[in-house]
Amino acid sequence: MSTQSQQDYSGRYAQDRAEIEDLMARYLFAMDWGDFEAYGTMFTEDGELEYARGTARGRAAIGESVRAFKQAIGGIYTDSKGNPAILRHIIAQTVIRIEGDRAWSTAFWWEMANDGPGDKPKAGTFGTYEDELVRQDGRWLFTRRRILNEFLEGRATGETNPVRGIDARAGAA
Amino acid sequence: MSDRLARDRAEIRDLMGRYLFAMDWHDADAYAECFTEDGVLDYAMATLTGREAIREGARKFREAIGTIFKREDGTPALLRHVLDQLVIRVEGDRAWTTAFWWEMTDGGPGGTPAIQSFGTYEDELVREDGRWLFSRRTIWNEFLDGRQSRTENPVRHYDRAAEAAAG
Repeated sequence: MSTQSQQDYSGRYAQDRAEIEDLMARYLFAMDWGDFEAYGTMFTEDGELEYARGTARGRAAIGESVRAFKQAIGGIYTDSKGNPAILRHIIAQTVIRIEGDRAWSTAFWWEMANDGPGDKPKAGTFGTYEDELVRQDGRWLFTRRRILNEFLEGRATGETNPVRGIDARAGAA
Repeated sequence: MSDRLARDRAEIRDLMGRYLFAMDWHDADAYAECFTEDGVLDYAMATLTGREAIREGARKFREAIGTIFKREDGTPALLRHVLDQLVIRVEGDRAWTTAFWWEMTDGGPGGTPAIQSFGTYEDELVREDGRWLFSRRTIWNEFLDGRQSRTENPVRHYDRAAEAAAG
């Protein structure tokens, strides 16, 4: 048997998981449609976003950082006419550990845009999210989202199963 | 349909996630722990029975894919599976699931993602001590001879199995 801490699936697990999955989806719509106000509200007041451009702290800084990111990426991912490509992120398998009003999650993401030959879809990159969440006033929010990308130097996930990390953090809490 | 379906579904989705992270990060112990002690894994390389055999199978899988999937520079590529739509039938402490998977590597031209194959999972699960585990996972792959999925809508297969189990 595993010596790692295990999720207790009794109680609110399904309810919390449904709410967190909804948050994850809202996050991606806000990101891909450039709704930076909505994006910021998914983090706690003092939340952190760590990604390729660095770490942003607090809702205003996170919203501003992602706005600048989106602008930059629009110059890198372009369609054949040079317009910013339509970029879409997709979230797939997600492991969520929940202990009371705190949660730890890791998920697989990938993205594609209309920057392939003939402006067709082309897969760009993939990676993982490593998240810490809290439930505040009945709503789950990110206290920290870390975005890892296997295609960026220094941002790869590494050799260790990311689920080991969230189980260890949940067990320590 | 039991009123537990939402709970069972949440728990099984968590198991599915744990399985794929264990597989893609080559965590053979965590992979084997997704199965019951006498669980069966039926896939292209073998049909394995029991956690110990499945653990060993996961190690062999790592070696095999390191030689199959390479980047342009010849180094082993990262392989990532993706799980999408998932149908779950639950009857008490047994469940039957059908899911669509696909996989890609980071070994495409110029270091880009390259889609490799897709298929389905057909799973039988049991709930033991409050945890859902695979008692049998069958992995179909549309790109391997003899491993293609059924011609019939695969969901019908486990709908029948669940109905038979329900009596």
